Amino acid sequence: MEVKSTPSQQPNLLIDQAIVPGDVVLHLSNISTNKIKLGLGLRQDADTIKATNMGLLKHSRPNKYWVESSTKRYIPTAGDAVLGIVIDSKPDNFVLDIKGPNLAFLPVLAFEGGTRKNIPKYEVGTLVYVRVVKANKIMNPEVACTDANGKSAEFGSLKDGYMFETSTGLSQMLLSSPTCPVLDALGKKLSFELAVGLNGRVWVDASSPEAVVLVSNSIMNSEFLSDTQQKIMVKTLLKKIEL
Amino acid sequence: MAGDEERDDTITTPGEVVGHFSSLIPGRGTYLCHKNHRDIYASLTGHCKITPPSPTSTDKRSTIEIVGHKSHGAIPETGSIVIARVTKVMSKMASADIMCVGAKSVKEKFSGTIRQQDVRATEIDKVDMYASFHPGDIVRALVLSLGDSRAYFLSTAKNELGVVSAQSTSGSGDTMVPISWTEMQCPTTGQVEQRKVAKVV
Repeated sequence: MEVKSTPSQQPNLLIDQAIVPGDVVLHLSNISTNKIKLGLGLRQDADTIKATNMGLLKHSRPNKYWVESSTKRYIPTAGDAVLGIVIDSKPDNFVLDIKGPNLAFLPVLAFEGGTRKNIPKYEVGTLVYVRVVKANKIMNPEVACTDANGKSAEFGSLKDGYMFETSTGLSQMLLSSPTCPVLDALGKKLSFELAVGLNGRVWVDASSPEAVVLVSNSIMNSEFLSDTQQKIMVKTLLKKIEL
Repeated sequence: MAGDEERDDTITTPGEVVGHFSSLIPGRGTYLCHKNHRDIYASLTGHCKITPPSPTSTDKRSTIEIVGHKSHGAIPETGSIVIARVTKVMSKMASADIMCVGAKSVKEKFSGTIRQQDVRATEIDKVDMYASFHPGDIVRALVLSLGDSRAYFLSTAKNELGVVSAQSTSGSGDTMVPISWTEMQCPTTGQVEQRKVAKVV
């Protein structure tokens, strides 16, 4: 196996390549810019940058590097939109499971125009689309049903429909722009509502059960397919319900 | 048992009648039974000690108290400085296990709570608990009160109070070095972390 740690290695060659923990990604002596921003999965070790996660190395101009990986378990990060399930309700907040190491707290007032008088009645088991406000290793994450400006912006409980779990990588693909091919192909023939949580939960709702099942199966199948394969897969499934 | 000298040979145990209310005032370690306001009972294990009344007092009875009981380590009192290890950090408070009171270590577990408003003296509503303590940090704190049934209330709202020792969360796990009253740095990786640092002279 080729050792990827020669000092003359140009960083460009590793970008968008698969790396494993321990790989030397950058030698700081070779870098021209004096400031590098490291994202998830990278760590400074003396004068090298090493990977700590397995995944694809990504780079964004001028100086941002990070590792993109797909996991079954979610690590809460501030700013993410996730799908949580209500586990418990306390006087001051709802307790949600967001597929992370800790349960998340949703304050009862974290809604648009939320006051003590109009607290929503979320029972145990309610699926809620929330935004992670604050998350770190030592505390329970705090989530809210508002966007950063305080508006409700589609956050809140999701009624009816069907929720299934996937990896975080598939969630990232579904949310990427331009629209991923599977959603594009489905959207041309069917109308459905979709909520994607970065924690690996996806919710689908459509007018008929067949449509819900078809959309869910297409999404679940599409994770490791290329663009053309995704289009063909959707076409094959749609034929089964004569569309 | 209402003798006038300290009895070194007999040990008194809780529940024993040590005297009569007509001739003695109950002191530390003794109590009067509410049903029978005549007998003085012991509530601690130790030796009886009878102190003659002070010449100025109106009551001519001696005071009886129990002394020499084994003190099980130190007990935190209001106003004492304690050393505690932070166990849990939440958005509005941090929990800590009290390990020493002053210079003496405790022999049983005491829990303390540092509330968000007691972390520092200035801008107390803008305190970020994550930037003040991490689980595992050793802090010097002041006991504010006996608190509720679960924990003492502690405060770090002084320059000399706060985190005295903390481990770095970077790979090395070395003890960090304070660089200001809000930051500590790992000596091997150089990673800076935020804490409410105690000013140690």
